[in-house]
Amino acid sequence: MKAKATKIKAAILCGMLGTAAVPAVSDGMDYSTVTDLLHLVMSSDRTVYTRMIVNRLAVEEGVIKASEHYMDEKALVLPAQMFRYGAEMVAEETDEFSYSLLSLWPINKQNAPTTDMEREGLEYIAANPGENFYGEEDLGGTTYFTAVYPDVAVAEACWACHNDHKDTPRSDFKAGDVMGGVVIRIPMD
Amino acid sequence: MSTRLLWIIWIAASLLLASAALARLYIGGDRTAFLPGDTHGVHHQIELACESCHISDSFASQATVRKDINKTCVTCHKEELKASDDSHPIKKFKNPRMAAYWELIDARFCTSCHMEHQPEITIAGLVTLPGDFCVACHSEGEQDVRVNRASHADLTFETCASAGCHNFHDNRALYEDFLVKHADAPWLAPSPVHAAQAMARTRPRPDGAEIAAYLAAVDAPERARDPLAEAHWAASAHAAAEVGCGGCHAPKAETPAQLAADWTDHPAEAVCTECHRPQAATFAEGRHGMRRHPELAPPRQADRMLGRLGLSDPPEALVAAVEAWIADPDLPGAMGTAEARIPMAAEAHGQSLTCATCHAPHEQDLAFAAAGACLTCHTDDHSAAYEGSPHHALWQAEMSGNAAPGSGVSCATCHLPKTERRGAVTTSHNQSDTLRPNEKMIRPVCMDCHGLAFAIDALADPALVANNFRGTPDRRIESIDWATSRVDRPDEGANQ
Repeated sequence: MKAKATKIKAAILCGMLGTAAVPAVSDGMDYSTVTDLLHLVMSSDRTVYTRMIVNRLAVEEGVIKASEHYMDEKALVLPAQMFRYGAEMVAEETDEFSYSLLSLWPINKQNAPTTDMEREGLEYIAANPGENFYGEEDLGGTTYFTAVYPDVAVAEACWACHNDHKDTPRSDFKAGDVMGGVVIRIPMD
Repeated sequence: MSTRLLWIIWIAASLLLASAALARLYIGGDRTAFLPGDTHGVHHQIELACESCHISDSFASQATVRKDINKTCVTCHKEELKASDDSHPIKKFKNPRMAAYWELIDARFCTSCHMEHQPEITIAGLVTLPGDFCVACHSEGEQDVRVNRASHADLTFETCASAGCHNFHDNRALYEDFLVKHADAPWLAPSPVHAAQAMARTRPRPDGAEIAAYLAAVDAPERARDPLAEAHWAASAHAAAEVGCGGCHAPKAETPAQLAADWTDHPAEAVCTECHRPQAATFAEGRHGMRRHPELAPPRQADRMLGRLGLSDPPEALVAAVEAWIADPDLPGAMGTAEARIPMAAEAHGQSLTCATCHAPHEQDLAFAAAGACLTCHTDDHSAAYEGSPHHALWQAEMSGNAAPGSGVSCATCHLPKTERRGAVTTSHNQSDTLRPNEKMIRPVCMDCHGLAFAIDALADPALVANNFRGTPDRRIESIDWATSRVDRPDEGANQ
């Protein structure tokens, strides 16, 4: 009963998100539905943190800084770090899914694409605003369902920092630009 | 009797004898025979507690064994890695997007770089890869450091971690923005004082009336009275904190009769650790006290060993019989000078290391604990050069009242650093924590008095370390210059 209710709710959400169905997992949700839902949570939390914490306190009110070296500077964690620490915490708990925040124009070079599909997905979402990218790839002997979602500049804190940083490869970001992508993977084997 | 039967009996008896001999050796004997190769550094202290690291069930798959053994590294080194703000944490490499890197160096596992029992290929820090291991991941594509940093264009990879610039795990004092921020600090601060040390050494001392009151309250039974011990105790922090004789010599006693009955002349170390828990915990993380680490498997437990041999729930009688048979020795005791593999004073031979080795229980002479105690055992070049060194001169000046509290530099200042948190000062008793590599000392210790550039240079000069900093560094590590050349102003690039 519970499983059925979950599937119905998932179907409703799936419809709300306008997701096209991808090959179904037996008796469960589509991979793309799962990644869409995961991304919905991630992007919502990320936007809330960026707008209501960092942008409000660091940019608009100017009462505290946000810094990559937040411990040393007694500052707010950067939105990208907040996201990455969450992803690393998940990685410590489970192999059932993984996610990361990547970009074709990363300040930290670790966040550049490392697989062909990551690059393809990031290029696709940059060229097709508003669309997601879905695919399958083999990594380390396992097949993964890989979804790439656009990460859009939602607050001044995003583009101001990325445009000014000494290590940035791109300095013309503005509101609404796709600055990178959230990559979510689920092992299919 | 047929020849065939005799053969069977002979083979069976031989196998039985061999099994018994090996089991005897493994369970209760000298397990040194089983060591596949020498362990590195201080792991020799625990190398016979095999099951501390080898926790997998018999016949477990290779993947399981690898996972299990890597779990055990973290049980002891977890706090250190957490505090180091690890630059390459395992969790960073678990994401499947790193699969291509797993083929190069699988950083999901400690053992990819740190293999024990491999003395022939082990370099400093228990690293069992060639010293240019950074090349595996930082020499191609987006990660090519020679492209990302113009200053690195002509550098070779064996210098990354050996020249005082980078460490794989701990870069708290070496990261680029930190170098920029502290680039202009003078080699020595105008009034060099270690703040937490100063706080600890300005503790109010009891006056004559207070000491008299303490002495009047001595509650030791008559047969145990000792005027000298009492006089020392009355001037100590224990007296001021209302820890009387019974507190250590009969901690459970509540009445004078119980005190007399329970009294022990030589309280066990557990009495100290009952109150001094942070000190005990950090002591067990360092080289002096690692045999007390709570995660360390006590070796040679008969019931556990029988479980390993397939008897998961052995009857008590069998365990007792086996224990009686093997005369199982006690757990390895505290580390002692006889087992040390670094130079030790001949006079200290046979000394073991407990709280009382450095802290005379009544006197609480912290000056002795901070320097004199160390030098009673350690005679390596750095230790032997301490007396007469500039740091020692400062220590003497402070101890004689001619310099400000916290301005002296004892062994403990650097190796057992104090930290202040919410007004309380704690001394870390993990004397290895600011070493391995020695750049870990820069922030908690050196920078209280010295500029970052000087500290980096000094710690990268082995001869200067060996002579206990009598002189100036013989090299200039260029990392700060390179970092500052990439920015126009000190706060640029700090993502603020």
